[in-house]
Amino acid sequence: MSPHVAARLRITLLVLAVSVVQTALGSDLRIMGVAPDLMVVVVICAGLTGGAEAGAWVGFWSGLLMDMFLSSTPVGLSALTYCLVGASIGALKSSVLQEHRGLLPVAGFVGTAVAVMLFVVVGDVLGQTQLLGAGRSWLIRVVVIESLWSMVLALSIGFVYTRAARGSVGTERFRAPANPAVPTR
Amino acid sequence: MAVYRRSFRTRNVLAILVLAALTLITIDARSNGHGVLTNIRSKVSDGFSPLQRATHAALAPIGNFLTGAVDYGSLRSENQHLRDQVAGLQAEAIRAASAEQAAQQVLKDAGLPFAGNVPGVTAQVIDNGSSNFDNSVTINKGRASGIAPGQPVLSAGGLVGSVVSASSHAATIRLIVDPSFVAGVALPGGNLGYAQGQGATHALKVTVIAQHTGGTGSSVQLPPPTLKVGDPVITSGLKYENFPAGIPVGQVTRAVVPPGASEPDITMTPLASLNNLDFVQILLWSPQTSSAAG
Repeated sequence: MSPHVAARLRITLLVLAVSVVQTALGSDLRIMGVAPDLMVVVVICAGLTGGAEAGAWVGFWSGLLMDMFLSSTPVGLSALTYCLVGASIGALKSSVLQEHRGLLPVAGFVGTAVAVMLFVVVGDVLGQTQLLGAGRSWLIRVVVIESLWSMVLALSIGFVYTRAARGSVGTERFRAPANPAVPTR
Repeated sequence: MAVYRRSFRTRNVLAILVLAALTLITIDARSNGHGVLTNIRSKVSDGFSPLQRATHAALAPIGNFLTGAVDYGSLRSENQHLRDQVAGLQAEAIRAASAEQAAQQVLKDAGLPFAGNVPGVTAQVIDNGSSNFDNSVTINKGRASGIAPGQPVLSAGGLVGSVVSASSHAATIRLIVDPSFVAGVALPGGNLGYAQGQGATHALKVTVIAQHTGGTGSSVQLPPPTLKVGDPVITSGLKYENFPAGIPVGQVTRAVVPPGASEPDITMTPLASLNNLDFVQILLWSPQTSSAAG
């Protein structure tokens, strides 16, 4: 098995495992009624380590998986949101953001805040008005607490994701321009 | 050049994925819960339910520990509050037994179904709702146990919600706090109305319908209800309602008449604790079976 295929398989298993943990344990971790979103942290890690394309792919499939567990929003809404967040984080990482120890927690915080707002705004535009039914105060609370959760969880999930993605095509592409020894196509 | 090609390819991939997501949203929205995506959702739910059950059982102690650690202070005061309530309820139970007999007789005379007579299925909650915008839980029983969309769901405290979708061995329950949830309710004094969810952290809103139809079919205009905090609210169980009569829904937490208004502004909190549901009971009842029976 080639390293690329093995890495993809590991990432798939990680996404499946995170979805099971999220649905089984996520609600037990509520603070002020707000649960963390482990999957969005995985997507942010994918964007940071693999670039925009890897972020988009991982975001789309992990979002689609999470859509299967939601009952009040249409299939594809989380996929769309996560895909855009993963791609944006990846694009920013390769063009603007510099490698820094605090990058992952900060990206986790900002990426989650953007993901939550995007989910609600796009959902509202597509007719899912119940997403704003609990009021703006609830939305603000979710944005702040979920983002703080992501900030805390980012390092540990990032550690696991980096090992799972070792050898994947996206990771090489992202690292290629920084390393002159690796020929570009 | 290579960087440009990569950027072009990334844009194409992103455009394709966004279009795919928008197509899925459109297909699902147009299918109204009966399309191919609903079937896939149902199959995924069935496939994951054993894994979820096992993970829930394995990780529950960790979750309970973390919940306990975060909410230790409030749990202690809640414990004391519950002890006081139990003492009060023991006395109340004796008085309620005779009142229930009378209530069942009234419902029988009016030809209305009563929740106490409906068979039920007990199920375990395997997903307590991990999304912050989806007020639903998943249980470990589905169509194989007779569960179908629309059936009422109860816990020890009262109405929890209703079944929104069911696969072979799992079902999803929409909780009463969800903004899309509406239930017909009966208020003290004979008034009727409906309760609507306002989100997980908000009390339910009760809107009064001043018309009261008596058992003889006559329509009587009742004065606006005079409610006080703590008054019980139960399901009305009228014809074409989604729930049988007599299920406790909540307690009034606020009932004030705003200046210039004729009807009171009423809110209530659910009797059932929705935060950490473990076991629930699904009543094998639907408005269709009720009509057929009636």
